[in-house]
Amino acid sequence: MHMANELLSVPVAAGSAAIAAAGLGFICRKVRQIITAEKLALMGILGAFVFAAQMVNFQLPAMPGTSGHMVGAVLLAIILGPHMGAIVISSVVIIQCLIFQDGGLLALGCNIINIALVPSYLGYFLYRTVTAGPFNSLRAYVGAVLACVIAMQGSAALVPVQAALSGVLAVPFTTFLITMLGVHLLVGLVEGLITVAVLGYLQQVRPDIVVNSLPGKVRLSKKAVLATLVIFTIVIGAGISLLASDKPDGLEWSYAERPDQPDFEGIISNDSPTIAAADKLQARYSLLPDYSLRSSVIGDTAENHVEASAGWTSFAGVVGSAATMVLIWLIARVLRKKERLQA
Amino acid sequence: MPKAIEIENFTYKYPDGTSALSDITLSIEAGARLVLIGPNGAGKSTLLLAMAGFVKGTGKVLVDGLEINRGNLKKIRSRLGCCLENPDDQLFMPTLFDDVAFGPLNMGLEAEQVKARVAEALQTVGLAELGDKAPHHLSAGQKRAAAIATIISMSPKIITLDEPDGSLDPRNRDNLVKLLKDLPQTLIIATCNMNFAAALADRAVLLDKGRIIAGGDAKEIMSDSKLMAEHGLEVPHKTE
Amino acid sequence: MHHAHIDKFAYQDSPVHRLDSRVKFIVVLVFTALVISLPRTSVSILACYAVGPFAILVLAGIPLRFVFKHILLVSPFVLILALSCPLYDKTPVSVAFGPFLWNTSVGWMRCFTILGKFTVTMLALIALISTTRFNDLLTGLQRLGLPRLLVIQLGFLYRYIFVLIDRAHRILRARAGRRLRRLKFRAELQIAASMLGSLFIRSIDAAEHINIAMQARGFDGNWRTLSKLQIRRCDLFFLLAAVVFMLGIYFFVKPILL
Ligand SMILES: Nc1ncnc2c1ncn2[C@@H]1O[C@H](COP(=O)(O)OP(=O)(O)OP(=O)(O)O)[C@@H](O)[C@H]1O
Ligand SMILES: [Mg+2]
Repeated sequence: MHMANELLSVPVAAGSAAIAAAGLGFICRKVRQIITAEKLALMGILGAFVFAAQMVNFQLPAMPGTSGHMVGAVLLAIILGPHMGAIVISSVVIIQCLIFQDGGLLALGCNIINIALVPSYLGYFLYRTVTAGPFNSLRAYVGAVLACVIAMQGSAALVPVQAALSGVLAVPFTTFLITMLGVHLLVGLVEGLITVAVLGYLQQVRPDIVVNSLPGKVRLSKKAVLATLVIFTIVIGAGISLLASDKPDGLEWSYAERPDQPDFEGIISNDSPTIAAADKLQARYSLLPDYSLRSSVIGDTAENHVEASAGWTSFAGVVGSAATMVLIWLIARVLRKKERLQA
Repeated sequence: MPKAIEIENFTYKYPDGTSALSDITLSIEAGARLVLIGPNGAGKSTLLLAMAGFVKGTGKVLVDGLEINRGNLKKIRSRLGCCLENPDDQLFMPTLFDDVAFGPLNMGLEAEQVKARVAEALQTVGLAELGDKAPHHLSAGQKRAAAIATIISMSPKIITLDEPDGSLDPRNRDNLVKLLKDLPQTLIIATCNMNFAAALADRAVLLDKGRIIAGGDAKEIMSDSKLMAEHGLEVPHKTE
Repeated sequence: MHHAHIDKFAYQDSPVHRLDSRVKFIVVLVFTALVISLPRTSVSILACYAVGPFAILVLAGIPLRFVFKHILLVSPFVLILALSCPLYDKTPVSVAFGPFLWNTSVGWMRCFTILGKFTVTMLALIALISTTRFNDLLTGLQRLGLPRLLVIQLGFLYRYIFVLIDRAHRILRARAGRRLRRLKFRAELQIAASMLGSLFIRSIDAAEHINIAMQARGFDGNWRTLSKLQIRRCDLFFLLAAVVFMLGIYFFVKPILL
């Protein structure tokens, strides 16, 4: 899931961008020694492959009308290794942001961390850990599925965390977190299954490609798929029932915990030191400190009345801006028509 | 003057065991316009790759009098330009200008010289206006011409082209023939299109199953209807 | 395929198109940060900020219908996010807007702010992308410090997206032609896997060919390009105008509730 500009404050966005930049810079420097000239084109093309792969969708079971597609981060990490995989997926994320406007410019740093760096390394690490030792088809299967699921969970969990750090969540943090994790449990499962299936196909058709990552046969057997589905159903079911019984008031327990603060900003526990620090930072660097400081947000003004003059200012602002835009458009139109006549 | 290409007893197997070229012996005069003809899978593309030192088999390959070995590949490739079958593989830079400049820049030329080379190459293939375009915005015919420009800009002595007539309409094919005829370089062209071959070539080599079946005057070979039919090819229509 | 030619307008020509990519990128980045840092309850001020990117788009001759269609296309996640706000924050608030007075909730205000910010920042980003050739943007980003390796990656990626997407479409069409009935999940998965696998293999083969094409043209691992970026007087003028515009709004138009 792409992080959006609107879920971030400038300090958090800048911090994430700095972390992403440092991470990428480090990886680029690190791989410079191991990247041969041939790898350059290969990595670039595999980035394009990730895009094209998203066109290939397939029906999901038990949910008519929905379809899944492959994300590919873990597949690339398994085949190319985590460093190169991370670079490829980062370039994919940058293109998604710049050319296709998926996820905003400000959120780019977060998206590189969430979608490229974390899944590549986490997924690779998990896969390697599970498949360590002599090759075993079941282990490869479990390793790939687990790698995809956990990598997806990791990247999905980061979105609400970053939003909470920014202090812009209207939705309670836990609700958001659980929703993200739940949705991505499914996405991760589908990703795991398709990754195994693609690995199996590659091994059958071009074993030379996966020789290092898959030194034996792996098959997408009916039993394995069925077992995975069953296990997941149990996990999800257990999770839901636990939540339902433990917290009678559903997912909004964070609301209940702070009855003293009906203010929406209080929902994200405001007294956590990290958030307080982020707040302070935000207050210092925010361009409009008195407005974005959480304590003062609306707090005073929301007392149900606003000065009438403010209403007129905003009215003037909107009407004036609209008029300006129409004017600009008209002038451009006239000019263009004239140009066309001259040509 | 050295021969453009000399090949002696060259044999090559792909890693999977496919025998692509067996015992090829061939010599090509400088300035020749030679077509490599043969059915699909005959080994034409592989032979062209061997001339540029991309496949290393047993036997000798000399380019412009220089035997290919690991040390002189760069020199070989500045003398022999090799244009691949699919222009999408040949044009890998974000703009046409960068693509055509790629070779000259790698040769270590100065910026001004590179620009001059690019302008000249684009002029030659008739794309002078399109330097700033992205390759994926070009038509199939333009891509083909652009791929050739990327080679011309390095001004090699020898140019090899793999099926340059693929996916071209008749008018573009005629333009291509005209363009290639005007090039001063030694041309070695692999093709399955006999009309295209006949319009262009003075020499021909017939290849099948990795072996040279016949070589010599283009008209002579391509008008031998029995020979051509034996190897799954057709005799070109007489146009002139 | 909606995004096959997303940046087609980048190849037009206009005064905006001719501006230096670095200047445009930095202006858009700062503008985005400015808009995002606006208070979360100020909707009307966003209209003022919108004037800037709007003017650029019009000046550059980008069809507005294309722009808004595209914004709509990328909006689902933000839309969900925005629409969930009113559910969670029902603090009542009444806002005055000229002659009108509304009783609404803070949640709705935030919903509109999010949508407004989204629209305005998207306008800016689309203005950047549809007036800047990707190649120039890359060169600019490299000058601004993006690692060389990443720049090369992005170049290849941009170049081959369209080639591979076309290929994927061809494969999909073939599947559509053959698939007569709904299949079981495993079969469905296996078909998708074989399509993806063959796409992957083709990508690797293409990479091999490209590698040959690069080596054939003397590539030795050092990436050399002639970059043509150059800051001219009009770039500085644009920068000045952008700064004046942003500072002007920042200082003279006070954010207010609504
Ligand atoms: N990468 C490869 N790995 C294994 N075998 C290959 C490879 N490329 C080609 N071959 C085999 O080598 C033989 C010669 O192929 P080549 O591509 O040179 O033929 P061609 O004459 O160019 O055919 P076409 O007209 O179809 O292009 C064929 O049998 C082919 O199957
Ligand atoms: Mg061939």
